[in-house]
Amino acid sequence: MLKYKLELKEKTSIQLQCYLLIALPLIGFFIFTIYPMYWVGFRSFTFYDLIPGHERIVGFKNYLTALTNVKYWKTWLTLLQFTFIKVPIELVLSLFLATVLSRKLKGSGFFRASFFMPKIISAVIVSVIFTNIFGYFGFANYWLEKLGFISSPIEWYSKKSTAMTLLILGSIWGNFGTNVLYFTAALTNVPEELYEAAEIDGAGRMARFFNITLPMIIPVFQTILLLAINGTLQTGDYVIVMTNGAPGGMTHTPMSYLIGEFVPGFASGTVNVGYGCSIAIINSIIYIIIASIYSKATSNAQNLY
Amino acid sequence: MKRKNTIYEICIYAILIIAFLIVIFPLISVFMASFKTNAEILTSAEKVFPKKLTFENYVLAWNSENFRVGQMLFNSIWYSLTSVVILLFLSSVAGYVFARGEFKGKKIIFAIFTALMFVKLGPITIYPQFETLGRIKLSSSLWGLIVMECFSMPIIEVYLVRGFVNSLPKALDEAARIDGCSFTGTFFRIILPLLKPVMITIGMLGFNGSWNNYLYPTLFTMSRPDQQTLIVGIMALKNSGESASAWNLMFSATVIAIIPVLTAFILGNKHITQGMMAGAVKG
Repeated sequence: MLKYKLELKEKTSIQLQCYLLIALPLIGFFIFTIYPMYWVGFRSFTFYDLIPGHERIVGFKNYLTALTNVKYWKTWLTLLQFTFIKVPIELVLSLFLATVLSRKLKGSGFFRASFFMPKIISAVIVSVIFTNIFGYFGFANYWLEKLGFISSPIEWYSKKSTAMTLLILGSIWGNFGTNVLYFTAALTNVPEELYEAAEIDGAGRMARFFNITLPMIIPVFQTILLLAINGTLQTGDYVIVMTNGAPGGMTHTPMSYLIGEFVPGFASGTVNVGYGCSIAIINSIIYIIIASIYSKATSNAQNLY
Repeated sequence: MKRKNTIYEICIYAILIIAFLIVIFPLISVFMASFKTNAEILTSAEKVFPKKLTFENYVLAWNSENFRVGQMLFNSIWYSLTSVVILLFLSSVAGYVFARGEFKGKKIIFAIFTALMFVKLGPITIYPQFETLGRIKLSSSLWGLIVMECFSMPIIEVYLVRGFVNSLPKALDEAARIDGCSFTGTFFRIILPLLKPVMITIGMLGFNGSWNNYLYPTLFTMSRPDQQTLIVGIMALKNSGESASAWNLMFSATVIAIIPVLTAFILGNKHITQGMMAGAVKG
């Protein structure tokens, strides 16, 4: 009986210690997560321009305005373009480089590290460098013209297609090294004997890649794809920093649109914060839908194999 | 057969070296440009290397009245270091609690924090967060951001630590418990010292993330320019009307902002890359 009591006492003590150890994040969860969620949810049904006394409940008006706002839906189109061009290029490129590097190559560690290195550079710095290289009188225009790729200098930031090119280029530059690391990790888990057996059977490099490597890394590939898609969907500050929507808001993604139009310090003039809240809520609903469709598609695909 | 392999290897190295050159070109170009005069930056952008090296830009940037690189460097350093200490503390403690702790609601709490990764309202939540922090007069300083970080759950890092703790034998805890260590004591005396490798990875990536953080430090220093970090200051200069005439300041500040993270990366790249690869496989 006494032993039981002592055990119970210890259990309660451990419980208490657990709660105390994570007390800060638990408190913060209510103050900095739940309360802001409630705030945004409630304000999305109001007109609210931060001026005291102006606030009034407007029902679903903000949502209706958002749903019929062509400029806002175009940001989703931009995001789709960005994702569907960037993710495939980035993944194919990094899978290729990872395959090359996974062989016992001298200096492979050095190359892997240097491919990863751009990841540690801030988007702000990338933006400074790109603005200079791709300026009207910049390095890129000079050499592209000299080598005959373009007939006259390009205003990179004044056309959607060229501005998007820069966004995609900068993003691939910054991120492909991470995927090289992920793929390398996946590739080292493929048993060496499989390759040896295939080589004895006379399979070439290509055949070995498509018949052994690819099927073996499919599960990890899906994780990497999910991470890449998820990361791309959330793209916000990156666009703010790189183009700030130039030209004329055409390269805004939903997240960067939200920042550029409604967040203090970035928005210009007085804005209806309530309207911004409704856009934030629509955004997150769409993110969740995409993520759940994706995870369902993945599990279906896994059943196939 | 042997010859075929040599040719193959030469091709591979050629591809890798080209990729390497493309990857480092942007950094080389900004590094070299920081030694050019402003006139040379504007007129001969096609040349990567300066006609003659000048350190003038660094002197100018350091002594500039409105673009105080020294102050910003100091802000970047203290903000990043404080953030990292907080991150290491929170992630190691929470990772341990979620791995070894037994308490009511453990599963639900962990599930909720995981689910929150997918609910992203974006920085619009800064309004209510400022409202709360404003009550304790912290909404307009970098300290406010630090306070907010103290109350946050770095869930991805928590996952890393939790996975690591789960891989440690439970006998360790039990032995410590028999020797009279409490649950908390076991963490500090036994588990924490063993977390060193994962702590190094988290610390390096965390330092890097805070150093490069743009959006939140900008929001928290809107009315306090003296608290701007290097990254915030560089972007502010780029967005200002003087940017065209201030390329030299911008470039020298950029190089100053790159050097700490690059040094940290060169010293610790093994920990970073191996940590990330391990995370991916367990992932």
